Amino acid sequence: MIIYTPLYLELVLEGLEDMKELKTRQVELDGVPLVIEDTGPGQGKVVKLLSTNPKDYLRADLSPGTVIKFTQQWSKP
Amino acid sequence: MPEENRDNGKNDFPYPPDFEPDHGCDPYDPNAPVPQEPQPDKQNQSSMQNLKEIGTNTLPDGKSNIHCLTIIGQIEGHLVLPPQNKTTKYEHIIPQLVALEESSDIEGVLVVLNTVGGDVEAGLAISEMVAGLSKPTVAIVLGGGHSIGVPIAVAAQYSFIAQTASMTIHPIRLNGLVIGVPQTYEYLDKMQDRVVRFVTQHSKISEATFREMMFRTGELARDIGTVLIGQEAVECGLIDEVGSVGHAVDKLKRLIRDKKQWEVQSVQ
Repeated sequence: MIIYTPLYLELVLEGLEDMKELKTRQVELDGVPLVIEDTGPGQGKVVKLLSTNPKDYLRADLSPGTVIKFTQQWSKP
Repeated sequence: MPEENRDNGKNDFPYPPDFEPDHGCDPYDPNAPVPQEPQPDKQNQSSMQNLKEIGTNTLPDGKSNIHCLTIIGQIEGHLVLPPQNKTTKYEHIIPQLVALEESSDIEGVLVVLNTVGGDVEAGLAISEMVAGLSKPTVAIVLGGGHSIGVPIAVAAQYSFIAQTASMTIHPIRLNGLVIGVPQTYEYLDKMQDRVVRFVTQHSKISEATFREMMFRTGELARDIGTVLIGQEAVECGLIDEVGSVGHAVDKLKRLIRDKKQWEVQSVQ
């Protein structure tokens, strides 16, 4: 892989070795499969979309970096 | 209305646009009629959340026929970059471009660039996608469109550069394991040719000029290459025009109108 940038590569790649592997998991939101990174209890940040529907990628509420919440709801049987 | 919802929307800021404070009733009087308070609508809630979480505000509703594709920071390719980099993820941009091509609401794409380059493959992939769109595309370079930002800028049908924006043209450098054999040089040369070919095919700059700029010495402190600022990028034929966002949107609207006219004419 070639990085083509006028920035110094030391600056761009600094900390690459210490990077922790992201704790990610796959979830589904509104029928859209997502990879999220756990950021706290019941909370996650969107890393990427796994959907094959291109329209999902235009959704601002699912763009990478968005925080999503897992909420449990009580319902009648 | 449940008690805890009484206050809903009242203490939130900003108030919903149609919210009128009702001074006429006492909120603690149990016999008072419960005023119908407007609930903050979904749009307002999501924009508040956006403001809190990522510091950006969503635009007021009203569908635009133009999609704005912003490419900022490093273009992240096959390698996840360390978190100090601001990145544009190509795996998100590429399906977006597919959706834009397919969408019936979107008639034109505005590519806004402020990038320091990044992965060659990812950058070229985005460039090819932008160049391959059948809808009118206009690119605008604000701040900087360096290295792999150059092919993305020229990929659009028409390109603008802000008066103060700069574009750095320099050779590709190898990172990682370098084996001192002629093949290494040949490989690097091939990678560079991909960029040069794309840029010269999609802009008015000649290959000789572009290569001369790429290998010019004395312009950059620690590298060889050229920095083009605003008008200079237009003079060498790389970019079409100096302008700002107003010019770019205007041009895009004109391209959309021309395309519609052409379609009407070709049907007749």
